Amino acid sequence: MSGPSLPFFPPDLFDDERELLLDTVRRVGLAEEQKFILGERTARFEAALRERLGAADVVACGSGTSALMLILRAMEIGPGDEVVVPAFGCAPLAASVVNVGATPVFADVHPWTMVVEPYEVEESITSRTAAIMPAHMFSVMADMPTMRALADRHEVRLIEDSAVAQGAVLDGIPAGRWGEAGVFSFVQVKTFGSIGEGGAVVTDDAEIAERVRMLRNHGQDGKQRFVHHVIGFNSRFDEVMAEFQSHRLTGLATRLERRAQIADYYTERFQPLVERGIQPPPPGRDGRCFYVYSLLADRRDELKRHLAERGVGTHVYYPTPLPAQPAFAEYAASDRFWPHAELACARILALPIYPHLTDAQASSACGSWRCRSTRT
Amino acid sequence: MEHAATLAGARAGSAASAATVPFFTQAAGFAAAWPRIEANLNAVIEGGKYSHGPLVAEFEATLAEYTGAAHVVGVNSGTDALVLLLRAAGLRPGEEVVVPAFSFVATASSVALAHGRPVFVDIDPVTYAIDPAAVPEAITERTRMIMPVHLFCQLADLSGIAEVAQRYALTVVEDSAEAIGMHWDGTHAGLQGAGGVLSFFPTKTLGAIGDAGAVITNDPKVGEIAAALRHHGRFGRTLDHFPGISNETVLPGFNSKMDDFQAAVLLAKLATLDADIARRAVLAAAYTERLTDCPGVRRLPTVVKREVETDAVFYVYLIEVERRDELVAHLAANGVGTETYYPVPLHRQPCFAELGHRVGEFPNAEAACAHAVALPLYPDLTEGQVDRVCELIKGFYR
Repeated sequence: MSGPSLPFFPPDLFDDERELLLDTVRRVGLAEEQKFILGERTARFEAALRERLGAADVVACGSGTSALMLILRAMEIGPGDEVVVPAFGCAPLAASVVNVGATPVFADVHPWTMVVEPYEVEESITSRTAAIMPAHMFSVMADMPTMRALADRHEVRLIEDSAVAQGAVLDGIPAGRWGEAGVFSFVQVKTFGSIGEGGAVVTDDAEIAERVRMLRNHGQDGKQRFVHHVIGFNSRFDEVMAEFQSHRLTGLATRLERRAQIADYYTERFQPLVERGIQPPPPGRDGRCFYVYSLLADRRDELKRHLAERGVGTHVYYPTPLPAQPAFAEYAASDRFWPHAELACARILALPIYPHLTDAQASSACGSWRCRSTRT
Repeated sequence: MEHAATLAGARAGSAASAATVPFFTQAAGFAAAWPRIEANLNAVIEGGKYSHGPLVAEFEATLAEYTGAAHVVGVNSGTDALVLLLRAAGLRPGEEVVVPAFSFVATASSVALAHGRPVFVDIDPVTYAIDPAAVPEAITERTRMIMPVHLFCQLADLSGIAEVAQRYALTVVEDSAEAIGMHWDGTHAGLQGAGGVLSFFPTKTLGAIGDAGAVITNDPKVGEIAAALRHHGRFGRTLDHFPGISNETVLPGFNSKMDDFQAAVLLAKLATLDADIARRAVLAAAYTERLTDCPGVRRLPTVVKREVETDAVFYVYLIEVERRDELVAHLAANGVGTETYYPVPLHRQPCFAELGHRVGEFPNAEAACAHAVALPLYPDLTEGQVDRVCELIKGFYR
């Protein structure tokens, strides 16, 4: 027996798509047009996402991380510019900013929802601020109406890191469409995960879209080959991925609903444990999307071990706040502190949540949990 | 059953249609490799990790054996590999890297993306690679590295490069994106200096069915940093290890992870790479035989003899001709695809306009841009198709 009986990262994610995967690779490999990146399949996939979101444009690219860099570059954000990012989250939030030559400024997060605090963002804005970049976190969208108001009031750009939130809708507006540009990530674990690395930029701004299209393919304009108008990246989309994702798009709503059902169930089961030091995320569906189901728990590491012993895999996203990571230490202002981010890092524990998780499995995760909490 | 029918169709299709000659296809080779590809894809599904997973690990190990590199870091593209290599080799912001004025844009854009400055020098007109004699005048006190590019069928003058690099204390990083299978005195391309890269873009000698690349190096530090940079700057085990996503972030990195389905295809094709290279050599020789002394053809590929043993690998069969664009149109009208590598030299690309270079600064690079055209060359190509291409060229200049 290798690994837990209820793994956190499911090893059988696409077992039911075996034929689809094999057929797709074979079809693209043998196709008459012998076109492997940014072809008709990618165009169709982009159009399908566009239609679904009601967005003016969707530009498929190499990854969610790369999508953030493409947006920053499309907005001509670079050396001398500051970008306000959450102090708690995934490395690309800060790395994308550093890698275009700009400076990340860290803002603390809400202690429960773990998304960036509007007042912390506002406090971080200076005359050098070019953009604010809130991120949706685990299952909760950032407070985008307030972010929009802040961006307008301070005349800075609004970039929405919606990499984890594809499928979430807040006040009737889908994640990805609140910012001037948003991103999606298709790495396998995401809500619209795929069989490889991929991402997309979502925008209603035709100028951003046009620039992103050039930047993703070496600064070429799509008409004249080997003429490079701007210094671009290689951040292209594979035709195999495009075809696979186009097929999977039809089942997305069902899979999102299943994730939400499991989350509802977890929250209901964990709600009574709040006084025992276990805090589930807020209930509800507006502005929510259950990419990761994360709890905040006292004595987290003990609990993680306890669950592991009972065959329940968990994961700690993220054990260290971004300003405390060695990569970003030089951007951590010495007179600022991020106590909520630190608290989140110490208490967070994510539980298995994926569409093919059965009721019995979800129940067993909770059972293991209760066993421990009643013991203490 | 349906599989078998389609596969047979792919073989018949490429063999029969001598009249149309696409610039590139790998359909027949893909069909032949399909049983191995399918087995590898099934292994991807069994492993359950679809990028940066077990097949990528296996591909890296197999490629290390093939190239003799101590460290192979599978990434998303040859371009990403260059950026990671430059950063891993220690390029600091504002430092200059000497690059040829004639290459694919990534040679120079990777330097800019790594926050360095590309400095162009002219090429040798025969090898299309940096002319070592042109390097000294490009040196300033900020010059830190030199990046020879190995284009089309042979290596740059690596002895000359090593000499000039030593004289000016430059780190050598090789844009060996096209150079899989090429060796200099027994050492595989990319392994002379701090490291090199490989591109597995589908048209390459070893091609995936989408974007993929690798950093190759014998320097453990370069290998370790490049490996961290491709996975968000995280050190420690991340390859084929999910929990590595929470490892400490030590460097501002990228997501440049390789897809396992690409590794599955690459592993399958690597099994026939030497045979594919031999096939390319046969086809290149067929072109040369038919095009020697052809009016209008200014230059055929010439593999330069070096003082040490080297080997050519015909990734691209590039010729220089009179009235190039007219010839390209003539061939296209007759169903023959070509590619113009490259119509504009790097110093004249709009994205480098701010460097202020003028026409005439790098005459060899500019001449190549005016006359060069690449003919179809891939293992699926038949001798009949080579005949057809050469007859059309001869007919055009008759």
